[in-house]
Amino acid sequence: MPKKIKLHKDFHGAFSYGLQFLCENYGEEEMVAYLVRLARTVYRPLVDTVKLRGLPALEEHLIYVFTVEGGKFEIGYEEDVLVLRVEKCPAIHHMKERNYPIAQKYCDHCRILNQEICKAAGYSSSVKYDQDEGSCVQRFWEER
Amino acid sequence: MVSCTEFIMAYNELFSYLDEHHGEKSVVKLWCAISDNFLQNLRELVSQKGIEGMKEYWTHTLTEEGAKYSMTAAEDSFTIEMYECPSVGILRRNRHIRRYPKYCQHCDLLYRRIIEDYGFSYEIKFLDQEMGRCRLTVRKKGD
Repeated sequence: MPKKIKLHKDFHGAFSYGLQFLCENYGEEEMVAYLVRLARTVYRPLVDTVKLRGLPALEEHLIYVFTVEGGKFEIGYEEDVLVLRVEKCPAIHHMKERNYPIAQKYCDHCRILNQEICKAAGYSSSVKYDQDEGSCVQRFWEER
Repeated sequence: MVSCTEFIMAYNELFSYLDEHHGEKSVVKLWCAISDNFLQNLRELVSQKGIEGMKEYWTHTLTEEGAKYSMTAAEDSFTIEMYECPSVGILRRNRHIRRYPKYCQHCDLLYRRIIEDYGFSYEIKFLDQEMGRCRLTVRKKGD
């Protein structure tokens, strides 16, 4: 299991601000276009790994991220579906603690990013979230 | 969730995205907006504590980010000598990412906008943008 490391968690607020800036100045479709770009650039190594190793690669990535960020979560398989249950999203909770405004569509970034990463690797995903609570359920499965 | 460990790359891509779709002016607009609306903590520290506030802000952020730097603070001046900017380090190590050519410039605009509001001069010298070396110097303006 990865150790928790010191992070500059204010970055979550800055990222949220960037999403809000895109929506307010250029429309939601541009926020989506930016996130699609992120999936293809920043997350290209993850896409490549998932293509090679399948859902276990995604599982490792999610365990790493949510552990180092100090989130409260469970992850496992329900038949062939990888399911991540986030009880306490570390990003949402940090922003609330610091009274940072949270982008209206903040949690959508997970849904869109996951979708694009999975699509590129031959998988699908869904995210059901409660942004106010900072909780969600993310599912990942192979496209047949 | 875009993790803190991925933020710098996402930030870099946001600058590139805006520049490609809306021109450099849109990147500058973003930087101004971040400075004006997101860096309230720095603004409060500088307005209330001046140079001590700057020291407090940057000690916290640079330590969390794992920067290699030295800092000197006197009654009327403040300097950060950045030996290895952690952001530049991330962009260098992740070769699949194309660095936004003016990435370093965001540090000039973001902080200048706040610090100059409170009677200080602000200068940043980019000593080696490729390696992430720079020097930030703040001086109290004379009366």
